[in-house]
Amino acid sequence: MAAGTKTVDYAGERALAKDFLTNFAGPHGEPKYQNMLQDIANRKTRAVQIELDDLFHYKDLDEEFLQRVTENTKRYIGIFAEAVDELMPEPTEAFTVDEDRDILMTQRVDEGADGGSDGTDPLQRMPPEIKRFFEVYIKAFSKATPLTIRQVKASNIGQLVKISGIVTRCSDVKPLMQVAVYTCEECGFEIYQEVTARVFMPLFECPSQRCKLNKAKGNLILQLRASKFLKFQEVKLQELSEHVPKGHIPRSLTAHLRGELTRKVAPGDVVEMSGVFLPMPYFGFRAMRAGLVADTYLEAMSITHFKKKYEEYELKGDEQEQIDRLAEDGDIYSKLSKSLAPEIFGHEDVKKALLLLLVGAPHRKLADGMKIRGDLHICLMGDPGVAKSQLLKHIINVAPRGVYTTGRGSSGVGLTAAVQKDPVTNEFVLEGGALVLADMGICAIDEFDKMEESDRTAIHEVMEQQTVSIAKAGITTSLNARTAVLAAANPAWGRYDMRRTPAENINLPPALLSRFDLLWLILDRADMENDLEMARHVVHVHQNLESPALGFTPLEPSVLRAYISAARRVIPSVPRDLEEYIATAYSSIRQEEAKSNAPHSYTTIRTLLSIVRISIALARLRFSETVAQSDVDEALRLMQMSKYSLYSDDRQRSGLDAISDIYSILRDEAARTSSMDVRYAHALNLISRKGYSEAQLKECLEEYASLNVWQIHQSTFDIHFIDA
Amino acid sequence: MVGPQYDLVGNPLGAVRSTFERAAAAAAAESGGRDPVAAFRAKDWGATEVFRSFLFDQGGIDKVPVLDASNLGLIKPNTLVRFRGMVQDMLGSEFYAGAFKDGSTWRTNKFTDFSPFTMPHPCDSHLWERHLLHCVPVPGQNSWTMESSPGPDLRQMSNCSTSEQRDKRKRDGDDDAMDVSENGNGEGSSFSKKPKEDGVQGSSSSPEMPVSEDRVPEMNGDDHHIPGSFFSCLVKVYDMPESQVKLNDVAEFIGVYTFDPELAAPVDNSDDIMFDLLEDVTAQLPPSKVPRLHCLMSRKLSCHDFLSKQPAVEPSPSLLKGIRQSLLSHLTLVLGKDDLAAHCLLLHLLSRLRTKVDLVTVGRLSLNFTGFNRESASIFGNRLNTLVQRLVPYSQAIPLSIDYLNTATLQPRKDNKSGRLVTGVLQLPQGTHLTFDETLLQSGSLASKGVENTVLLKNLMESQMVEYDFEYYKLEMATDVQLLTLSEAKSNILPSDLVVPFRPSSVPAVNASLEELESWRWYLATVRSLPQLSEPETYQAIQDDMVNVMRNDRSLGCSELSRWLTMAQLTASSFGEKSLSMEHWQMVKELERLRKERMQ
Repeated sequence: MAAGTKTVDYAGERALAKDFLTNFAGPHGEPKYQNMLQDIANRKTRAVQIELDDLFHYKDLDEEFLQRVTENTKRYIGIFAEAVDELMPEPTEAFTVDEDRDILMTQRVDEGADGGSDGTDPLQRMPPEIKRFFEVYIKAFSKATPLTIRQVKASNIGQLVKISGIVTRCSDVKPLMQVAVYTCEECGFEIYQEVTARVFMPLFECPSQRCKLNKAKGNLILQLRASKFLKFQEVKLQELSEHVPKGHIPRSLTAHLRGELTRKVAPGDVVEMSGVFLPMPYFGFRAMRAGLVADTYLEAMSITHFKKKYEEYELKGDEQEQIDRLAEDGDIYSKLSKSLAPEIFGHEDVKKALLLLLVGAPHRKLADGMKIRGDLHICLMGDPGVAKSQLLKHIINVAPRGVYTTGRGSSGVGLTAAVQKDPVTNEFVLEGGALVLADMGICAIDEFDKMEESDRTAIHEVMEQQTVSIAKAGITTSLNARTAVLAAANPAWGRYDMRRTPAENINLPPALLSRFDLLWLILDRADMENDLEMARHVVHVHQNLESPALGFTPLEPSVLRAYISAARRVIPSVPRDLEEYIATAYSSIRQEEAKSNAPHSYTTIRTLLSIVRISIALARLRFSETVAQSDVDEALRLMQMSKYSLYSDDRQRSGLDAISDIYSILRDEAARTSSMDVRYAHALNLISRKGYSEAQLKECLEEYASLNVWQIHQSTFDIHFIDA
Repeated sequence: MVGPQYDLVGNPLGAVRSTFERAAAAAAAESGGRDPVAAFRAKDWGATEVFRSFLFDQGGIDKVPVLDASNLGLIKPNTLVRFRGMVQDMLGSEFYAGAFKDGSTWRTNKFTDFSPFTMPHPCDSHLWERHLLHCVPVPGQNSWTMESSPGPDLRQMSNCSTSEQRDKRKRDGDDDAMDVSENGNGEGSSFSKKPKEDGVQGSSSSPEMPVSEDRVPEMNGDDHHIPGSFFSCLVKVYDMPESQVKLNDVAEFIGVYTFDPELAAPVDNSDDIMFDLLEDVTAQLPPSKVPRLHCLMSRKLSCHDFLSKQPAVEPSPSLLKGIRQSLLSHLTLVLGKDDLAAHCLLLHLLSRLRTKVDLVTVGRLSLNFTGFNRESASIFGNRLNTLVQRLVPYSQAIPLSIDYLNTATLQPRKDNKSGRLVTGVLQLPQGTHLTFDETLLQSGSLASKGVENTVLLKNLMESQMVEYDFEYYKLEMATDVQLLTLSEAKSNILPSDLVVPFRPSSVPAVNASLEELESWRWYLATVRSLPQLSEPETYQAIQDDMVNVMRNDRSLGCSELSRWLTMAQLTASSFGEKSLSMEHWQMVKELERLRKERMQ
């Protein structure tokens, strides 16, 4: 467009292009494009990919030239192609010449040298296109953020743009004629016709000088073997779901892939594509129907697939800086965990566990070929309405690859895999289920307890061996399912029944339970404080039409994702001196369990592995190469806390006397507010919520005051702790 | 600004072009000649202002005919029309040669599909873009809303258009393309302004009348895209900020109408071998079947726009209270003298989605009447349906049977082959009322589609979200739909906020006068748009009361409390009060107590 009115000296431009191609030096000083051209001359590659990055970093950069290239890209592809023509070196390696094209070329060159044709006839001059064995692509800046399809406007026509989208449809790859070659029956000349559009009007009469002079009207015959064809594919891209504004539907865009770019994408791929945005005039009847409308398409120049795995996650812009800043901050563990599902109130420890699930531990492969999984499996069990499903869905959103399914809902292909008969070809095809699709990611299974027994047994294999084996309809195979399982289940009778043992309430077989690293019980316990909190929340929402302020700013999911992906690159090890510590901890849990008549958990050797896994995940969060004792302690604490709601019940039943319970409440409150003072009125509030009377409080105050634990103010009865 | 020297209704393009030429000339003088129109891309050069002042300031809007299925072939192309509909699909943008240089003058093609001037080839031209919206009549639109949008009498319109066309025919022979610049300031424009009464009969029976019955094509014959509707319109919007019109919005578009039944597409296009993959969308909506409307002005329609006459009075509490009483007594009669159910129904009809906080929806109140059997459902269900139809602008009644669940397409789905959004039953404009009759449900097995449909309905009930299927991913679209369920016992497929056992005592005859209906409609529309002020003291008192209530009744959860508060707010607005008081809270608690008694 810029070139439209201003006359640009194309010969000069070509010189600039040539200069760039000859003199550009790669990062190691090698002549990057010279090498590329040599490869083309040797018929090793066909694509000349000119990167704008290189143009930008070129020492003799002409900014206006760069500008012109991005704004009138189609023209400059031609200019670069001409420059390449002129620079093409001689092949340095021998290659087989007996291709049709080569033979034809030799003949043509010979004929041209003979001077058989008079050279004045433009149709008889060989177009440079037919001699080329390469295709020129201009690749957009790799650093620039791609546009959404919505942002591509009429002002972008003719320019090089970079977009991101999901491929929804692909056509077959078809040959597209680039140069049509005819031979004349009368004069025998080869006539060339360059084709730039998708349709062309074939020539029927020989336009050569000789036929014209003789008025012979030579009959032309199209020579398919001599013509030059290009691979051509049409692709439809759709806007990514995150780019669609609320209340709108995704836009789509057509892209044309040519030559080497064909067969690079399949429907469903998320890609970044750079290309020239061009109008395509309608023709024929379509033109009549369309009136003044022009169709547009993107002439693709480069295609990059989006990576969806943590390991391949590329940090953008200032993310590295943000991660560093976060890592320096001491309290990263709770900060990150709070940012998971910030709209769900409380559940700090559950969120911590979920954060560790996202981080995971590295897989281990022992020398004898045994594999030890690194993924953490967590089961959330709890009363209805404690936001289990929301937690699950949120985790899936944070994880770069996650599948959400319900135990009952996944029929047909189900969770694992199924062999299905293709209705068209009658062939058996293998279709992966949710667990296979979540390979290298997270699979969240809601309603775990309501799952079919058959599916549940299949999960055993997935959770420990991390494969799905299938032997159906003559297909025996094993698919990878390296996924972290996050399950949510209700207790056996819908609600947790306090009168029954934990084993009765948790109606999952021990074989399955032991495979979960953490089984979290979330019970809906009635207490005054929660009620008030709930009432306050409901009223606030209705009054102000927004959630109450969180008291902190949660991190963006993208930052979270970046941090986790960075953490996952660390592979911490357990130092020798910690091994003993872990072993002792494990054996003490075992002993405790043996003593109890109604154990809350099944501690097996898998538990030991779980402790190690959780500790390693914690070390990863600190970007530490070694596991510290504090990590192990935190792992053990989480395991304890997971059944806290049961223990707290025990504590009450075991019958701490009222006075010491009140003391511990006040002590906890002082510790929580990290002050030495608790006002009397506040203390009274606190204990009355737990069901104690004022008389009991007074008794407690006196008793502990006499022990010199605290001082009581003479008139107000405010409490001051003497030593915290 | 400019006096209406053009007949803006009969020849809108003339005005567009003249303003453009003036603006282009001015710009050329200013910039010194080089490329004066580049600045007009995605910008208005004053054309819409002319129309805006004509339509709204001078009341010209009443002269503009409303486009519907009946007058499709009768309205003359390239005239101004109005169209009321729902945005069913957004077909993306279209690039067109917006301006080109004809000799030394710049001409524009904005607001039209065909240029009256032949474009020299090659020529300097600018590609501009416009957005395509596929609009359909609003699903479930009730008949009373149609009466309220009177355009000029169609016969008058057809008269003036045909007479003008006939005039033109004499001049231009059979050249169908309008030479707009010619009759722009000529006498042709005066025809439409004073339609001649006596000319009507003569011209409509005139043999040379180009617009006759047989020219009206079979509408969208193969495009049964919207169930039960056979009429749609492709609206082309210009220079509109993207946020202005959203999917499923109900809006009125005023613009230039083009429709060309002659330009039918052949059934099989030989070019299509090349285009097998990427058939462009507009080809499926051929101009011969789907009219085009080049939008000059648009405005979103709310409930108020459908009321035939609006009382000019400020909605005072005393006035609203009176209407509330009359509506309530009518509801009680319709519901067989069940006072409690009538109260709940009133609150339900007034509910609207106020906002969505994280995952919680605030303000909606879906209602489930239980205790129906087939017989009572047929009596009271029908009465309810008729009532709802007469009160709200859009409503649908859905009989929920196994067969329906297994076969109906509820979910809108993008068909990537055709590039269009295939509508589903749940593609609804904001504020639609849906009634589900669950009494038809019998035990049976659901196919996979049935399961999907129930999940969809459940999501709609619980979070006012409908998932649209875009094949490779799903997008959730927010909706605001009032949901009423009639069932035998509490519906588990459609979990409603409020479950009320229905106890009619008799079947009294009901009738309501038109005036009453109109006042009720006005009442519902007004109350629903009343603002809610928050009084911190009241809310504090309610909060304390909630804690007390919870202490006595452990079964109360977040959802109940939230519902109570919603009901209290709705009660307050139903009296025309802008803020909630404890009195309303107590009323809701009393209502709730009565309801609980019935549940036992």
